[in-house]
Amino acid sequence: MTIVAHLPQRALTLTEEESAAPPAMELTGRRRASPEERALSETIFREFHADPRYHEFVLGCLNCGECTTGCPAARFYDFSPREMLQIAETGDATTLWDALQEKIWACCQCYTCNMRCRFGNDIAGIISVMRELSVSHGVASTRKTLAPFGRSLTLLMTVGTQVSSDMIQPDFFRDWGPFATGSDRAWGVGADIMRRAIPSDVLQTTRSSWEVSVQTSLELFRIYEETGVLDMLRGLDPDLTEMLIDIIEERREEFEEARERFRTELEGMRGPVATFRG
Amino acid sequence: MLSANEIRKVVQERNQHQKGTGKKVVDVREEMERLEAAGEIVIHRIRPENRPVEVSTLFGWKKRIPTDRLWHHKSCGQCGNIPGYPSSLLWLMNETGRTYLNEPHQTSCTAWNYHGTATSNPVALAAVAARNFHRAYETGHFPLIHCGTSYGDYKEMRKLLVENATVRAKVRDVLGKMGRELVLPEEIVHYSEWVHVMAPEILARQKHTVEGIVATVHEPCHYYKMVPEDAVYDEAIYAGQRPAVPSGILMALGAKVADYSTWYDCCGFGFRHILSEREFSRSFANLRKIRPMVEEAHADVAITSDTGCVTTLDKSQWIGKAHGLPYMLPVLSDVQFAALAMGAHPYKIAQVHWHAASAEALMTKMGIDWKAAKAEFREYLQALKNGQAPELLHPAHGEIETYFAINKGQVLPDEAPAAPAGAGGRSR
Repeated sequence: MTIVAHLPQRALTLTEEESAAPPAMELTGRRRASPEERALSETIFREFHADPRYHEFVLGCLNCGECTTGCPAARFYDFSPREMLQIAETGDATTLWDALQEKIWACCQCYTCNMRCRFGNDIAGIISVMRELSVSHGVASTRKTLAPFGRSLTLLMTVGTQVSSDMIQPDFFRDWGPFATGSDRAWGVGADIMRRAIPSDVLQTTRSSWEVSVQTSLELFRIYEETGVLDMLRGLDPDLTEMLIDIIEERREEFEEARERFRTELEGMRGPVATFRG
Repeated sequence: MLSANEIRKVVQERNQHQKGTGKKVVDVREEMERLEAAGEIVIHRIRPENRPVEVSTLFGWKKRIPTDRLWHHKSCGQCGNIPGYPSSLLWLMNETGRTYLNEPHQTSCTAWNYHGTATSNPVALAAVAARNFHRAYETGHFPLIHCGTSYGDYKEMRKLLVENATVRAKVRDVLGKMGRELVLPEEIVHYSEWVHVMAPEILARQKHTVEGIVATVHEPCHYYKMVPEDAVYDEAIYAGQRPAVPSGILMALGAKVADYSTWYDCCGFGFRHILSEREFSRSFANLRKIRPMVEEAHADVAITSDTGCVTTLDKSQWIGKAHGLPYMLPVLSDVQFAALAMGAHPYKIAQVHWHAASAEALMTKMGIDWKAAKAEFREYLQALKNGQAPELLHPAHGEIETYFAINKGQVLPDEAPAAPAGAGGRSR
């Protein structure tokens, strides 16, 4: 009682003036959503509930907490899979907006919560749908969270692998120590020689996880074009998207030139190698 | 905690609850047969030349694991930063006389990116899976999936393509634009399942004893938590209460597989976290996995069977000494461990030098003369630097394959069931 008596007095309802210009920070310390942000959050929620996966993934909640008990992210972040599930069920745009800022990105996608849930909720899937919508609407916090992924997204979109050995540089992975990055500090030769010492020609590249043929990368890009992934990426990073299109255009030209060069060898072959035109 | 009995109970309770939703655990393979009969899909069947071995899954359903004539679906993380993982597998196949293709005509599953950044969608993921499935099919080789996330993702995508006619139609349309058909493999097979059923042949070629070795197993989440009903269980391993892989091969070789309290926890990879928020990955890996493995189980080595798990558990340890966690427990994949036990070169084949936690003490305990092997490898590196051609486990690909996914003389399986391996197959 004594402590409460010393707390600053605060009205339980907002004054007219406060309602017109609410404080920038909520009591939790989080920034309050602007009217525009709130409108975007409501749009995202409508799309979320309209997504066919919503009704497949959200099946109810017993509030038992089994999901959170086994969650690795819950041990280190202000994050709970139970909260994510309940936000999905509520339809409250304010709490969804709060979750989109950081919480959805804490999830490890390990599926431990799914495995423990008696109701069969696909909580990892729910979070993935939230993330997808956040990306496609270009939510500012999402652009910031995914800013370090430009290099890996470029690789993924153009050759279809996530990493390359020349990405794993000692300067960026200092916490991995001096021996785990193919560094010449350990063996006295460069990274290119370390890769040549792998006994498979397909793996000896430093620019990708493995050599990917031009036809294969163009087929992959066709998938991205046809399934909306490229448009989605535009919401996240329009400049990167334009750069990717330029890279692929060059590869298409290279592919057509090669088709002319290898015309004799390709004659008589059947299947995609004979018909695919980039 | 997450024992097979517990998982079965959870799934049964789900089915009770979900009577009205229509979402049940069903054997998707039965529906595939109906779809093929209706002309909706083609099933890539396991054939006698694939020399299959039968195993059991969570509910006792039978799963056939092909052991020959395989199409390697590589893992981007393995090839990128722990290349001894795939090279050990290729070496084991050569040693046991299995044929395969290791091609540049494969994309990754792209699911690492999806689980990390969400810059994709289910139709795209399903189309990527189906493109790779078709490429394997047109070569007449059965896909063998190296990565646990690819394995989990492909099982999800196979289920999606079977259950959702709209997605199926979209994917078929996209594939049609590149001259491909919708083909689904009879089984989605993880390489660790291949290692598991190959145990007798590996054991017959074992050169180094591992009887004094204490191994702790990290079970990869995407192996048994994404689509639980398809993971392999065996009554002889943990009384059927935990997945049989990769523990089975360790037990067969004679290692002591020791338990620890957090065996069911993930490794801390987190997909996004390992690249941009490694404070989490390394804290989780060291505190929740490596420390219990060392302090509770007194492990000599941690063994796992997925890309992200080897990466996170191994590479997170070096920085641990700054936080009073100076364990440096060697972390290897099951297939690297098996290859070492069979006498593979520790550096040329198992490529243990890409790992942060040294495997030298472990190799000493296994009776491997790693000092001589290391000296030999140093000389080999200098020879490569001076222009010597590298030693390869299979023939190199020609320049034409830099551009084109050529047929290489293979024909579609339905046209010639017993077609021999093409020019891109293995050799010593």
